[in-house]
Amino acid sequence: MSTKIVWRLPVYLAIGLLGGGFAYWADPYLIQIALGVVVAALLALSWDVLSRCGQVSLGHAGFFGIGAYFSAMFAEFHPAIPWIAGIGACAIAAALLGMLTLRLQRVYFTIATLGFALALQVPVLIFDGWTGGAGGIAPALVAGGDPAAQLLVGTALLVIAAVISDVVLSAWFRPAFFMIRTKPELAASSGVPVVRTKLLAFVMSGALGGAAGVLYAGLYGYIVPGDVFNLNWSVLPLAVTILGGMDTTLGPLLGTIVLRLLEEVARAYIGGVGYQVVYGGVIIFFIAVMPTGLYGFLRGIVMRLRSDATKADKP
Amino acid sequence: MDFATLLQPLLLSLAAASLYAAVASGLTLEFGVVKIVNFAHGDFVMLGAFVTYFLATRYGISPALGMFIAALLMGALSALVYYGFLARILKQDQHNQLLATLGLSILIVNTAAILWTPDARALHVPEILPTLHLGRVTIPGNNLFVALVGVCLYLALLYVLNYSRWGTLMRLASDDPELATYSGLDVNKAFALAFIIGGFSAGIAGGLVSLVLYVQPLVGIDLGIRAFAIIALGGLGSVPGAMIGAVVLSIVEGIVNAFVPGGGSWGYGIAFVVLIAVFLVRPYGLFGKELRS
Repeated sequence: MSTKIVWRLPVYLAIGLLGGGFAYWADPYLIQIALGVVVAALLALSWDVLSRCGQVSLGHAGFFGIGAYFSAMFAEFHPAIPWIAGIGACAIAAALLGMLTLRLQRVYFTIATLGFALALQVPVLIFDGWTGGAGGIAPALVAGGDPAAQLLVGTALLVIAAVISDVVLSAWFRPAFFMIRTKPELAASSGVPVVRTKLLAFVMSGALGGAAGVLYAGLYGYIVPGDVFNLNWSVLPLAVTILGGMDTTLGPLLGTIVLRLLEEVARAYIGGVGYQVVYGGVIIFFIAVMPTGLYGFLRGIVMRLRSDATKADKP
Repeated sequence: MDFATLLQPLLLSLAAASLYAAVASGLTLEFGVVKIVNFAHGDFVMLGAFVTYFLATRYGISPALGMFIAALLMGALSALVYYGFLARILKQDQHNQLLATLGLSILIVNTAAILWTPDARALHVPEILPTLHLGRVTIPGNNLFVALVGVCLYLALLYVLNYSRWGTLMRLASDDPELATYSGLDVNKAFALAFIIGGFSAGIAGGLVSLVLYVQPLVGIDLGIRAFAIIALGGLGSVPGAMIGAVVLSIVEGIVNAFVPGGGSWGYGIAFVVLIAVFLVRPYGLFGKELRS
């Protein structure tokens, strides 16, 4: 089932209204939570785009960090330059990583991407003249540091990301991605340009992950290597996407909102140390109870109701 | 630079290799048999370290004995985790299985942080073996003990896998689960066995950790990530590969730490540069086989 972009307009409108509404009416605390959701959702969509051609990555912290760092290193010029630098550097890095890992199968790919993200701290430490080394670096603030305006920027990015995700889900790309994911040997022989499609997925995913990183770096204007090249940024997109529902645009968004809200509740009850224990609990619960994610679960309910309704219509 | 300044870090690296191999061989055994990458393996090592630590500090039990108690407990916990959770998701997609063990890891680490605080503790007990002096090279007794136990554990795993009934059962079940089922073998039991043996070796490795590293909730993630690099380097599922991978990694790390300025803070970066270099030549590790789809 491919997605028609036109039918998706209400979804984009809903994202925009939700983000815009929060930006205008919510209090500062809620705006911060919304910003956290937007960053995580961007990263989750980025992860899902890559996973659609069967590449399960644990390296999105790498794109996130490259985006953040390149935006910081080119912070002094026009406000658009950090975005171009961060996203561009990520797209290039993603293409290179894609070429390096083309031959790697499944788990080998996952471990290699895990390594990619963690190893990137080394160049940051070596070239400390440019990157600030272990002491960190100060990127330019997005929207002058006004949280409400930042949320508007983030919402706009999220809508763009949702459109990109839907384009990948549309009839133009979906069959090729599906073939590569499910029957890689068959894909090449039936005329799918496997290498080109995979690299395209990498570049799109990298660019989106980079955008998340640039946004994150510009929220508070200060980053250190251990903060952005952190395993958490690799696990988070995987977790929220699988919880929400893979291979969809709404799934990662739903999953992010649910997990972030649970995190806030846990932080209030458990405190700063170990509150992520709910992450573990929620993940295990979802995998055991609804393996197709929230989206799949809800869809299943809707389908069942619909088939019940059609059965009821017939005498 | 003379011979001794080179030999000292080299020998200490080999002691570290033994610990890495102890962590990685259990992990690669689990993957080799069940085809699940257990991201929580390092956290079982961490739990084993805490058990050994508390047995030594509260009840005065020597780590040499405590690590076996830890190993038995971790074996039991692995059985619980396998039958309670992992056995139910064997049919699910690869990414779900990956996330399942990641979730387990997050759950264990954070529970440990809540129970025991994230602070690092050092275990102060008399060294189990005397310090070894070879000319100007000295090897502390604890490192020597770790090296010896690590090698023994590794050899024991190799023996069990290759020469025992359990090993035969596990190899048959992993080679062709369907055929094994038709032949009347209990595949589920074989998989559980792999996890229990993996948990047992994680417990022993945890005991070793408590002797040479700080005991803290994050120590397992640190070792676990290195162990992934090691088993991918050696070839997933290959126990000899895990040993080779551990030796390669620990020597490279030892050399970088000793001779590259600032190299001590590179952490896993080193591991993955080595790994990518190997992948460029052999995409399934040094001793690995191509995965069947």
